[in-house]
Amino acid sequence: MRKIGGIQRRVFLIGILMGTLGFFVGMFKTKTCAQASGDFFGREEYVGKTRKGRFKKFYVQYFKPFKRVDGDKWKLKITGLCENPQEIDLVEIKKLSKKTQVSRIKCVECWSAKAQWEGFHISHLHEKVRPLPDAEGVVFRCADSYNEYLPLNDLTHERALLVHTMNKEPLSDEHGFPLRVIVPFKYGYKSPKAVLEMEYVKGFHLGTWSKIGPYSLDGTILPGYDHPLDMGKKRRKIFGGEIFDY
Amino acid sequence: MKILVFIILFFSDFAFFSLKVFAGPMVQIPEGPFLMGEILAEEGVNGKTVKLPSFQIDQFEVTNQEFQGEFPFHHFPLGAEKHPVCHVTWEEANVYCERLGKRLPSEAQWEKAARGTDGRIFPWGIKKKRRGAHPPISGMTKRIVGFNKKDVSVYGVRDMSASVWEWVKDEGLNERRVAKGGVWNEHLDYEYSKTFDRIFIDPDKRFIFLGFRCVK
Repeated sequence: MRKIGGIQRRVFLIGILMGTLGFFVGMFKTKTCAQASGDFFGREEYVGKTRKGRFKKFYVQYFKPFKRVDGDKWKLKITGLCENPQEIDLVEIKKLSKKTQVSRIKCVECWSAKAQWEGFHISHLHEKVRPLPDAEGVVFRCADSYNEYLPLNDLTHERALLVHTMNKEPLSDEHGFPLRVIVPFKYGYKSPKAVLEMEYVKGFHLGTWSKIGPYSLDGTILPGYDHPLDMGKKRRKIFGGEIFDY
Repeated sequence: MKILVFIILFFSDFAFFSLKVFAGPMVQIPEGPFLMGEILAEEGVNGKTVKLPSFQIDQFEVTNQEFQGEFPFHHFPLGAEKHPVCHVTWEEANVYCERLGKRLPSEAQWEKAARGTDGRIFPWGIKKKRRGAHPPISGMTKRIVGFNKKDVSVYGVRDMSASVWEWVKDEGLNERRVAKGGVWNEHLDYEYSKTFDRIFIDPDKRFIFLGFRCVK
C-alpha cells in the first residue's frame, strides 16, 4: 500500500474530501455575523450598530456595543433637579398616558427612515417627578455609554416623545429597548436609545457626539438633502425641521 | 460743559431709540425687469421676466440686537448681538418690518436684489465658490452679519446665499411661506443656495436657521 509522509494514501484522500466538504457546508450553512439576527458580534447577548438584514430599511447606530437590557430588571432612573427623583419600571412606564405618531428619523449621515411610534409625552412623567424651576434640560444616559442632552423646550415640544413601541411591537433591542426618545425635528443623534437614566440639569451640557465629533449641540434638521431608506435612498430636498412630506 | 454733554447724550439716545437707528443700512435696487426662477443645467432656463419698480432692501439680515429693539423680550446669547436673528415666526418678522415703516420683501424683490439683471445663479456670478458656505459642523453656526466677504450681490446686498434662510412675503406650497437664500446641508457638507432656490415653511414655525430682512 502506498504511503504519503507516513499516512496511508486512502486515509489522506478521505481526509482531503471530508475537509473540502466541511468547508462548503460551513460556508453555506453557518450564520455569519451579518446573518445572526443582526447582532454586532454574532453573539446574541450583545447589541450594536448594524445595517444588515431587516435593518437595511432602518439602520441601527449605537455608540458602543452593549449587553442586551433585561426588561424585567430595568428601571428608568430619574435624578437631578426634580422634587421627586425615583426609579420607574417598565410596567409603570407603559401605564403612562399613551400617544401614537408616525415620524421619520433623519440621521445626520444622510439617510432617514419612518415608523409608527407609541409612547408618552414627557409632561406625564413631569406629573410624577416634578422638575424644579432651575431645571433647563435633561441628560439622557444610555446602555451603549451614549449621553445626550436635550433642553426642556425641545422635550416638551408636542412632537417629542419617549417611546416603548415601534410599528405596534415593543421596541427591539436594536431600536432602543426598553425606552428611547424621538425628537423628529432634530437629527437622529438627538434621539437617544436604550435609556437608563434621565438627569434634570441646569444649563447646556454637551452630548457624546457634540463632545467628540463635529455635531452641533442644537441638532435641528437643516434645509438640505435626504436619502430615505424606504424610498431606495433617492435624493430628496428637505426644508428643515421634521419631515412631513413623505 | 456738563449740561452740554448731557444734552448731546440725551439727543443721541433719543436718536438711537426713537429714530430706529438700530436698523442697518439699506441698498437701492433700480426699477426694471430681471430674470426670475430656476436655471437648471439639464433643462436650461425655466424662468420668467418680471418687472419691478425701484425699492430699497436691507443690506444685512436683521440682527438680534435690532430685533430686540422692537421686541424687548427677545433673548439671545451674550456676544450674539450682531448675529442674524432667528427663531422668529413669519408674523413676528412681518410685524417687525411694519413697525419700522418697512415690509417683508416679496420673493421677486428678494431675488432681484440677489441676482441682478443678468440672471446670475449665485449673488456673485455663475461659478460656485471653492470654499464651503459653512463650517463642517452638523448644525447652524451663526456669525455676525456680513462676515462672509464673498457672499455679496451685484448691488452690494450681503449674505443672500449662505447664513440663515430668510422669510419673504409670498405664500408657497400648502399655506406655507417661502424662504430664500441660506445654506444647504448634506451630511456635513454645506453648499451655497442659488438665487432662485426656495423652501417652504409653516408660518408659525421657528427655526435656528431662519431669519429675515426688510424692504421699503
